[in-house]
Amino acid sequence: MSNTMDGIDFAAIVDKERASKQRNWLALTAAVIISAVWVVPFYYLAISIFKTTEEYSLNHPLSLPSGLAPVVENAVTAWTHAKMGAGLWNSALYGFLGAGIAVFIAALAAYGLSRIDFKRKNLWFMLIFSGTIFPLQMYLIPLFFFYQKVGILNTHFGMVLFYSAICIPFPVLVLRNYMNGIPRDMDEAARMDGASEFTIFRRIVLPNCWGPITATFLLQFTWIWNDLLFSTVLANRAEVRSIMNALQVFQGSYSSTGPNVVLTAAVIASAPSIMMFMLLRKHFMEGMRVSGS
Amino acid sequence: MASVCLKDIVKVYGSDIAVRGINLDIPDRSFAVFVGPSGCGKSTTLRMIAGLENISHGELQVDGEVVNDLPSRDRGVAMVFQSYALYPHMTVRQNLEFSLKLEKLDHSEIERRIDEAVTVLELHPFLDRKPSQLSGGQRQRVAMGRAIVREPRVFLFDEPLSNLDAKLRNQMRVEIKRLQRRLQVTTIYVTHDQIEAMTLADFIVVMRGGNIEQTGTPIDIFEAPANLFVAGFIGSPRMNLLAGTAVEIDGQLCFSNDDFTVPLPSERFADVLSAGQEITVGFRPEDIVPEQHGIEPTRSVSVTGAVEFSEMLGNETLLFFNINQTEIISRMHQPRIVESGETLNFLFNVDRIHVFDTQSGNSVLSDQVTVG
Repeated sequence: MSNTMDGIDFAAIVDKERASKQRNWLALTAAVIISAVWVVPFYYLAISIFKTTEEYSLNHPLSLPSGLAPVVENAVTAWTHAKMGAGLWNSALYGFLGAGIAVFIAALAAYGLSRIDFKRKNLWFMLIFSGTIFPLQMYLIPLFFFYQKVGILNTHFGMVLFYSAICIPFPVLVLRNYMNGIPRDMDEAARMDGASEFTIFRRIVLPNCWGPITATFLLQFTWIWNDLLFSTVLANRAEVRSIMNALQVFQGSYSSTGPNVVLTAAVIASAPSIMMFMLLRKHFMEGMRVSGS
Repeated sequence: MASVCLKDIVKVYGSDIAVRGINLDIPDRSFAVFVGPSGCGKSTTLRMIAGLENISHGELQVDGEVVNDLPSRDRGVAMVFQSYALYPHMTVRQNLEFSLKLEKLDHSEIERRIDEAVTVLELHPFLDRKPSQLSGGQRQRVAMGRAIVREPRVFLFDEPLSNLDAKLRNQMRVEIKRLQRRLQVTTIYVTHDQIEAMTLADFIVVMRGGNIEQTGTPIDIFEAPANLFVAGFIGSPRMNLLAGTAVEIDGQLCFSNDDFTVPLPSERFADVLSAGQEITVGFRPEDIVPEQHGIEPTRSVSVTGAVEFSEMLGNETLLFFNINQTEIISRMHQPRIVESGETLNFLFNVDRIHVFDTQSGNSVLSDQVTVG
């Protein structure tokens, strides 16, 4: 054995390593082309909101707009026609409360399922989780009649109740798995430190679950925000309808607005959930990791 | 400061019996080490003392007070976990003050306790760091700090060093011992590492299968193991054991296994052994001295053996050879490289022989040793 480094050309080795990385050019080009195809609808959306109805109908749909100014008028038209202010407010209410309550209850359930010993734990879990197996549409008609009978059709309360309930099972699945990965030693240490069960939940387990909590909150928020079916059936009055429901005024034979206005409305309607994602994306990505360590 | 007393402690999981009626007195300020192979019930016993497991049967007393039904926090015990179990989202300071805030102590008291612990453990530079920013040894110290600030009556350690590398483990071992001397708190320490047991303990509790096999000071356990299990478990490399028969040759009681015969010192064994009894004798590797390679024993039996292979460890060489198909290990204190096949004379130190009844496995001198 010899310890000398003579005869080894380190520069050549470095070059070779670098060259091997550059061979990925081909893959990169292919990726760029595929991405471009995928981006076309967004391009269409982005340019159309800057066109007047006239400009839109005269030119090719993918041609560039002549100026940026029409976007203001489009927005105003969209906002007033669809009463978007009320819609956005309602959707925000449903999204924040519905997803928030659902994730909090799910976290409590997940803590119980992962930490507390009781009989038939798996059965309870399967029972909760079975909520996600059936097609959601199945609930629609019974729910409508039930809501009508109880008198919570077309109410904020009814909507928040529905969204909270429907959004519980999935976070339970995610949070239970995540909490199972958080070492039990930690709760035991806290218990010895004098913490009650709820203190352990609130001060030890919950703060270590921010990742998956944010992730599931975001997913459920987006689902609620984008839901059209249930909000159309259960809350159709202008004062309680959601933003997605509000956009429906642009549909149908009486609608007089052009695609440019519809698209502007769509951009406004989707902005909040995109902003939420941007804001919480760090936690979201953390939450996507499976293990709890 | 408190004594801990276990009376007939039993732990049952479903139909499995994990701990089978343990009786033990741990005096105030002493350092007790539970040692045994995995599954022997040592950790379960510790967790029962901690209040993390229910006690199925028996009585646990801390300072004379029965604490079976007290929650952990009211028992005056603090525990250092194998995984440290630090709260990852809190800084070192927050980790330390968590229990004190729950106890609703006033600010100056919290500061005093944290300051004391931090000084003892030299944690000042790390107070604002999170556990993930600390090395293994530092985390270990924070875990100890968290126990210290509670000023408990009893410290519990559950294999606290097993996640550290060998060098750090030795260092932390010394620190734990020093800390216990300084704080004078009754300590119960669980480990499967016999070096930790030998070095830390005021007394060792050897466990197997939910029972206590032997309790005693480290030197007692090492010099006078109560049975074959303890003999084999304590000491590294393990004690060499040879099964055979007690025979009388010219009025002298001897151990015999085919052509291997060892006289048994009559002052120790004349009263407890009779000819014809099935016995197993044990020699520790250091009591089998290769001739001319160490201090030769005054009374010995010489056996010539061909070294099958050897392990040169720097400060000593371990030599492996066979007597009647049983592998024997000898410790060469003046080490050199020994080639396989080399023939040496091995001197078996007769005065340090251990004798066990083969059938029961107990030491024939068992009334002279402490059995739990």
